[in-house]
Amino acid sequence: MTDPRVERLAGLLADYSLALREGQVLRIDSLDAGSPLVLALYGVALRAGALPYTNVSLSGLGETLLHHGSDEQLTYLSPIQWQEIEHLDALVTIWSETNTRALSRADPTRHAAYIAAQRKLSNRRWERISSGEMSWCGTLYPTNAHAQEAEMSLAEYEDFVFAACHVHEDDPAAHWQAVSAELRGRAAELGGVRELRIVGPDTDLRVGVEGRSWLAADGRYNMPDGEVFTSPIETETEGEIRYTFPAVYHGREVEDVRLRFEAGRVVRAEAARGDDYLQSLLEMDAGARVLGEVAFGLNYEIDRFTRNILFDEKIGGTMHLALGSGFPQTGGQNNSGLHWDMICDLRRDGEIYADGELIWKDGRFLAEPALEVVESGVHG
Amino acid sequence: MKPGVAEPPWTARHAEMGSNRLERLASVLVDYSTRIRAGDLVCIDTGPSAAPLVREIWRRVLEAGGHPHLRLDVDGAPELLLHEGSDEQMAWVSPLRRAESERADVRIAIEADVNTRANSRVDPERQAHAERAREPLRRVHFARVSAGDLRYVVTLYPTQAAAQDADMSLTEYEDFVFRAGLLDHDDPRSEWEALGRAYARLAAWLDERKEIRVVGDGTDLTLSVEGRTWVPCDGHENFPDGEVFTGPIETKVDGTIRFTYPSGYAGRRVSGVELEFRGGEVVRAEADEGAAFLREMLALDGGARRAGEFSFGLNEAVTEFTGQTLFDEKLGGTVHLALGASYPESGGRVRSALHWDLVCDLRNDSEVFADGELVYRNGRFLDGLL
Repeated sequence: MTDPRVERLAGLLADYSLALREGQVLRIDSLDAGSPLVLALYGVALRAGALPYTNVSLSGLGETLLHHGSDEQLTYLSPIQWQEIEHLDALVTIWSETNTRALSRADPTRHAAYIAAQRKLSNRRWERISSGEMSWCGTLYPTNAHAQEAEMSLAEYEDFVFAACHVHEDDPAAHWQAVSAELRGRAAELGGVRELRIVGPDTDLRVGVEGRSWLAADGRYNMPDGEVFTSPIETETEGEIRYTFPAVYHGREVEDVRLRFEAGRVVRAEAARGDDYLQSLLEMDAGARVLGEVAFGLNYEIDRFTRNILFDEKIGGTMHLALGSGFPQTGGQNNSGLHWDMICDLRRDGEIYADGELIWKDGRFLAEPALEVVESGVHG
Repeated sequence: MKPGVAEPPWTARHAEMGSNRLERLASVLVDYSTRIRAGDLVCIDTGPSAAPLVREIWRRVLEAGGHPHLRLDVDGAPELLLHEGSDEQMAWVSPLRRAESERADVRIAIEADVNTRANSRVDPERQAHAERAREPLRRVHFARVSAGDLRYVVTLYPTQAAAQDADMSLTEYEDFVFRAGLLDHDDPRSEWEALGRAYARLAAWLDERKEIRVVGDGTDLTLSVEGRTWVPCDGHENFPDGEVFTGPIETKVDGTIRFTYPSGYAGRRVSGVELEFRGGEVVRAEADEGAAFLREMLALDGGARRAGEFSFGLNEAVTEFTGQTLFDEKLGGTVHLALGASYPESGGRVRSALHWDLVCDLRNDSEVFADGELVYRNGRFLDGLL
């Protein structure tokens, strides 16, 4: 029998995240391990009168391509993929790995070549998503591989994932509508702030955000969700930060990262483990030393680090500050090949000041946001 | 496993045997059946249970310089569509399917059912609707095959569901499947080439005949085949293979034929089928099981009442009925007749959304006459015809 939480997640994705309508073409992307959610979503979409179809792959095929493919095969984009992308109204990506480390030993150069080729397709996809021609949501179906990364049993991990999505409750859409109103209110308030000061253990960082718009990540593009974010002024980050959680980039972990910023740029960086990797990523390009994102993680069902950015960046009571590319829709101007989310735990001994006023202590905003309805149009 | 404890020898050997057979099957499909060349876009069309074979084919296609593309049906999704889809949803062709059918250079379809009876309780009328919806894609497929733009092969990966239909354990069924493909031979490819030469000689001889009469238990059917082409099947479009078929003259099929074996079609089972033809059309149809479904399929469209294909099953390694058409229709000593669409290469002109192969066992008390001359008795051609 299907887990009722899987059925509710499928319903939430269709009704709330995508707002799927009759006649819309929906593609469901997943690996085979995500089949229960694929099937549930397919059924929900049929009942909604949409035109759903599945695009399911098997684990291990990408690895075979990386090992056996010629350069031409590695960078090949099939006309099937190109032809198809133009017809989609909605797309759901279900992450569902059976081995999160399968590519650990793949040749990094070949892997990079493969990713670069695929980026042409994903760029076209992002164009259609950002122009509002199609909707997209990324989510996760729990597997043992993800549970293993999180150091949990599968049953514990399922509880964790479904609670984070609020599908352990009867009416998750109502929850997310309330979250959305709250996050939008919070984003509107933060829009009036000129400078944030983050104070915590080995951390005292000033981030200029004047004139930048804050966006609410409220379950449209990700499920689970729960953050507000913007791109800081590129030249106005000053001070030091120590990241409590390991910083993970493309599956490699760097532990206990400490950064010192001057005039927006990292001038000193060190890590207890993986320092070489940290230094090499900072050298990637000119934009790699500049913050592209500052964000508050506000999903309090997510209460621990699980080595998966879909969840980690939303841990309630944390902030993440990403090195590398910014978000143009918030006013961000930093360009880089890097976008590396690093998470700072502020649940203990953490304080945040907005233009000198204390607004956050020990992982919580001090005041409720004004619940004004802000039509930002971002999710349109 | 504790250090120092050796793996039981049978474990290693068994695993090796298994993967060797799959590698061999993959290599035959890629190198022999579809002759994949550098640059070919290869669509592998199957379900998740065929994963071990997909992985082998994927690698072999890469080694041959092709671009593998996987389309995987989620188990249960087709049934959901049949149960819950509106007419419009059932008739809809996804952009992925469309792009695949228009763009692929090669299609490798692997049957891998997890439940061969999943549609037993679906309204036959809805199934007819779903069959009709597939017709445009089928037309694109055969047009591209005829034009030489598409090569394809249909094969089967052994699943518990198929083994259950065959009344076998999975291990027994795997042995059966690999034996039927001659994969237990050192060089399956040259075995198939040799069979292909023999089938081609038989086909050339049949090309000169005008009329075939089949006589057996409950069966006396006469088909005109004058001017039609007999096509030898040696592992290129079906694997395993082993038949020589043609498309009978559309208006000249007369008599009665009784199909000995139950037929699995579109996720349900029909048995005890008896058809009477007059002037090429079915005028009477009976079945012990699934009669309503049979009638619905016959009413599918104008071509569904006609015999689009007549064929001799010639694979001597398929010695028993297992409930899967891919194998049953190749069973050495049988003939089969398909209701619905012809294959253009035979000269047959029946067009239909249906192509339903029904198998008739001729291994006992049976005879076939060609232009009045006895040419086949109890499952075998006479006089060295094969």
